[in-house]
Amino acid sequence: MEKIVLPEIKDYHLIDVYIKNGGYESAKKAFTFSTDEIIDQVKKSGLRGRGGAAFLAGLKWSFMPKSSDKPKYLCINGDESEPGSFKDRQIFEYNPHQLIEGILITAYAIQANTCYIYIRGEYHKWIKLLQKALDDAYSNGLVGEKMKDTFGIGFCTNIYIHKGAGAYICGEESSLMNSIEGQRGYPRVKPPFPAQNGLWGCPTTINNVETITNVPPIIKNGWEWFSKIGEPKHPGTILYGLSGHINKPGIYELPSGTLLTDLIYKYGGGVPGDKKVLCVIPGGSSMPPLRGDQIEGVKMDAESLKAYGTAIGTGGVIVMDEDTDLVKILARIAKFYYHESCGQCTPCREGTGWMLKILNRLVSGEGSVKDLDLLVSVANNIEGNTICALGEAAAWPVKFMITRFRDYFEKRVSSENILPVRNKVHSMRNTAISIDTEQN
Amino acid sequence: MATITIDGKKIEFKSGQTIIQAAKDNGINIPHFCWHPKLSISGNCRVCLVEVAKMPKLVIACATLAADGMVVFTNSEKAVNARNAVMEFILINHPLDCPICDEAGECKLQEYAYDYSVGESRFKEEKQHKEKRVPLGPNVMFDGERCISCSRCIRFCDEIVKEPQLTFVQRGDRVTIVTYPGKELDNDYSLNVTDICPVGALTNRDFRFKSRVWEMSTTKSVCTGCSRGCNSDIWVRNNLILRITPRENEKVNSYWMCDHGRLNTFKNINQLETRINGAFIKEGLSHVPTEWESAYRKAANELKKYAKDEIAFIGSPFATNEDNYLLAKIAKNFGVSNLDFMRHENPAFGDDILKRNDITPNSFGAELAGIRPGKNGFALSEIIQKINDGKIKVVYLLEDDIAESNPEAAEAFAKLKLLIVHSVNFNKTTDLAHIIFGAAAYAEKNGTMINFEGRVQRIRPAVALATPDKSLDGQKLSRQDKFGTEYDSWAQKNIKDALPSWTILMNVAKELDFRLKYNIAEDIFLEMSKNIDALNGLNYNILGELGVPVKDSINQPLAKAL
Ligand SMILES: Cc1cc2nc3c(=O)[nH]c(=O)nc-3n(C[C@H](O)[C@H](O)[C@H](O)COP(=O)(O)O)c2cc1C
Ligand code: SF4
Ligand code: SF4
Ligand code: SF4
Repeated sequence: MEKIVLPEIKDYHLIDVYIKNGGYESAKKAFTFSTDEIIDQVKKSGLRGRGGAAFLAGLKWSFMPKSSDKPKYLCINGDESEPGSFKDRQIFEYNPHQLIEGILITAYAIQANTCYIYIRGEYHKWIKLLQKALDDAYSNGLVGEKMKDTFGIGFCTNIYIHKGAGAYICGEESSLMNSIEGQRGYPRVKPPFPAQNGLWGCPTTINNVETITNVPPIIKNGWEWFSKIGEPKHPGTILYGLSGHINKPGIYELPSGTLLTDLIYKYGGGVPGDKKVLCVIPGGSSMPPLRGDQIEGVKMDAESLKAYGTAIGTGGVIVMDEDTDLVKILARIAKFYYHESCGQCTPCREGTGWMLKILNRLVSGEGSVKDLDLLVSVANNIEGNTICALGEAAAWPVKFMITRFRDYFEKRVSSENILPVRNKVHSMRNTAISIDTEQN
Repeated sequence: MATITIDGKKIEFKSGQTIIQAAKDNGINIPHFCWHPKLSISGNCRVCLVEVAKMPKLVIACATLAADGMVVFTNSEKAVNARNAVMEFILINHPLDCPICDEAGECKLQEYAYDYSVGESRFKEEKQHKEKRVPLGPNVMFDGERCISCSRCIRFCDEIVKEPQLTFVQRGDRVTIVTYPGKELDNDYSLNVTDICPVGALTNRDFRFKSRVWEMSTTKSVCTGCSRGCNSDIWVRNNLILRITPRENEKVNSYWMCDHGRLNTFKNINQLETRINGAFIKEGLSHVPTEWESAYRKAANELKKYAKDEIAFIGSPFATNEDNYLLAKIAKNFGVSNLDFMRHENPAFGDDILKRNDITPNSFGAELAGIRPGKNGFALSEIIQKINDGKIKVVYLLEDDIAESNPEAAEAFAKLKLLIVHSVNFNKTTDLAHIIFGAAAYAEKNGTMINFEGRVQRIRPAVALATPDKSLDGQKLSRQDKFGTEYDSWAQKNIKDALPSWTILMNVAKELDFRLKYNIAEDIFLEMSKNIDALNGLNYNILGELGVPVKDSINQPLAKAL
């Protein structure tokens, strides 16, 4: 099987090796097309975003205004903070130049003279690796002002790496832009969308690292070639991440639509100790989990997974064996979203903490069946009522884990549970202070 | 014109308006916390989620543009469920502070909890705890637990005052408000955040714990801190002014007022020690309380002893139009042409938000009412000169502590044979006076003032005096109600014996054989509106709550002259 995003060529991350293998030729080719032609080809290729929502990349680019007196920007999303996702860093490490080349082509297509690669703060190593590759590209005249001469075109673009400060929410595209602007990482109310009102109020396109790394091969081999790989409605390869109870965890580049069972058993080497699979989250921790007895025949692409009541997300597959404590797992996932909620809008700010508190109670054996209904209700009350999709990311695991594993959860809670009074009465807190310090 | 339908009611909207704005303009209130008509949209509270036909998800009314033919439901099952859910979320971590919270009674969260939530909580966990008393600056106290993270206070500082001083820190339900490192919330408008904060998270340190809001009466008034004349509400309990808050008037102050006006224009009125109760006559070195009647007689008899050109009348930009008008009228009748008032300009005070360099509320009105030198009369600087020369021996002065603000005048006044002063409080000028009349403060009387733009606005009595205003028709102010105790101002007879300057002037005039018959302040205003073109046709009713501009034709040249 051909590897598009992570080709198995030794030292491909080095600029010389990359160029020797035809690197930067796709960009050269792309620059002979008009911007509309490139957008059209990517549209026809069917390339869909690999950042979570699987949105059509070419279509997104076409939203960029053709004429604008404002500068245009391209942001590459390498924040990769979703538990279960660790694919973009493989690109930074093993194929940085294809990403840079993809950026050049995309920037040209949308006419962006400035590009930012936003990388999660904890990725120190990968930031260094990518910076090295970028420096090499600059010194070879492939990026920046010099690319005009190198490619013999009137267009040029600059690429900057922006390091995140450790917030999952900054992977959300509008929050990412605020973060680049130096603001608090708060998602923006949409509409307006980034193509109208992005970085500093200018037209902006945001794409995932993997999405953009797919662009050079599409230009090189043509859209028809790409559209025939894997599932027609979600073509190409996907970097699947295998983690959890799996013998061979790691990143696997395989055609879209690969069977989930193949991923686990054929490529991942199965579950340690040959235990049964209890639960699989197919696309990163925020996606609805599947029961172990539901995974037979499930294909890993956006449309197929949708039919099974879940989603491809970032392709991060988390496998849990039969001995897993799902209550603890769910509490841990809830803790993540509680910790990462930016706190801007009410349902997510308050609801994530509420769900966690209930789940912690469940873990310590103080839950009741009523709490399960309450959890689902709270999750439903968050879903759809928030500014950004972190609301759903927090609500879905809780809602679907409990509804899909209702029997499991009911066994873990007692039907009747009288709670000790939890709300400490105000007067019990040590808040009394002397009158003279409290004049005002 | 384009229309949208909200809950079956068809309304027109202007292009570019959001659903919530269009609704507001048509008298429909869509519940909201974070949206404020004068601030940018933040869309964070989610209380204004509404259902729009043909839209898959609920939308927030504050950020969704109205479009022709749009059908909006604020009370469909989906919308109600979402609103209940949001209310429940806001309340889970909100402390049960209402019984000790200053905001209670005027709290948006309380109101909405009654109007829009199910009245029961499913939250059994321990609430999130935060700092409960953080002074953000000299005037504002913050309670983190009460904050609902609406960001109004932050946006106010950023967008209205343009001095970013507040920000959120932390994430999730740990989010809280802080000032930037090394900064305080100390801008000139900081207290407005306590008004726009929908809950009791930001409170006025000057007012904290002074009263429950429902125990106070409110009276519509105008701030006297400068010539902007911000519309205000005066809050009174136990016949004491406890706080002043801005009252919306788009023509004057929008929703705001400055901290100076809010904090520094009422304490002197409450202050028993310095208030002038009744009339005083100087005997030897001290001022002796005197019956009002004998003080009037004394003032008239003394005045009669001097030649008209030995007398100067000085009006006041702090006094009402009615008071100044009457002074000018009496001066004319009595034949005194040395007539002027003192201007108070402070170039350091004004800004481009509300504050004006003219730090008096009514210089426009004093001038319009006729406070200016008559034929062969002298203006203030010359009057001071003439006093020093011994030519002018008598000054009759309305409500202005000129000795304090003008040292030259203070020196001159000390040389006067007769200084008659109307004043609210004892001050440097009353120290020099021979006869002092206790004047009602602006919060104790009816009258009008004209702001720097020529807007005529009313002031009203908020605090009761010993002699009730006849316009109140026997009604009592700040009633001695069931909350009263035997230690309150009413039982203790701590009610000030002061009179509006126009009443005092009328009584002095009577002793000068000039009989005037005004029952209430408006009688004088009605006479002014007959005699002064700029006020033609106006009465108190027409001025209403928001005031009206003086006639444009007059306004222009006058405004320039000022
Ligand atoms: C809470 C949250 C976190 C996200 N984190 C990431 C991320 O780390 N990387 C990413 O590519 N997209 C992330 N996304 C999705 C982005 O908002 C955006 O859809 C994506 O970058 C678009 O790229 P694509 O169209 O190429 O997939 C996140 C979205 C949300 C709501
Ligand atoms: S949904 Fe959560 S993360 Fe997104 S804006 Fe609201 S509070 Fe922030
Ligand atoms: S802010 Fe409002 S709801 Fe909260 S404690 Fe104060 S009065 Fe009660
Ligand atoms: S302090 Fe008040 S105004 Fe400021 S964010 Fe909190 S609730 Fe809103």
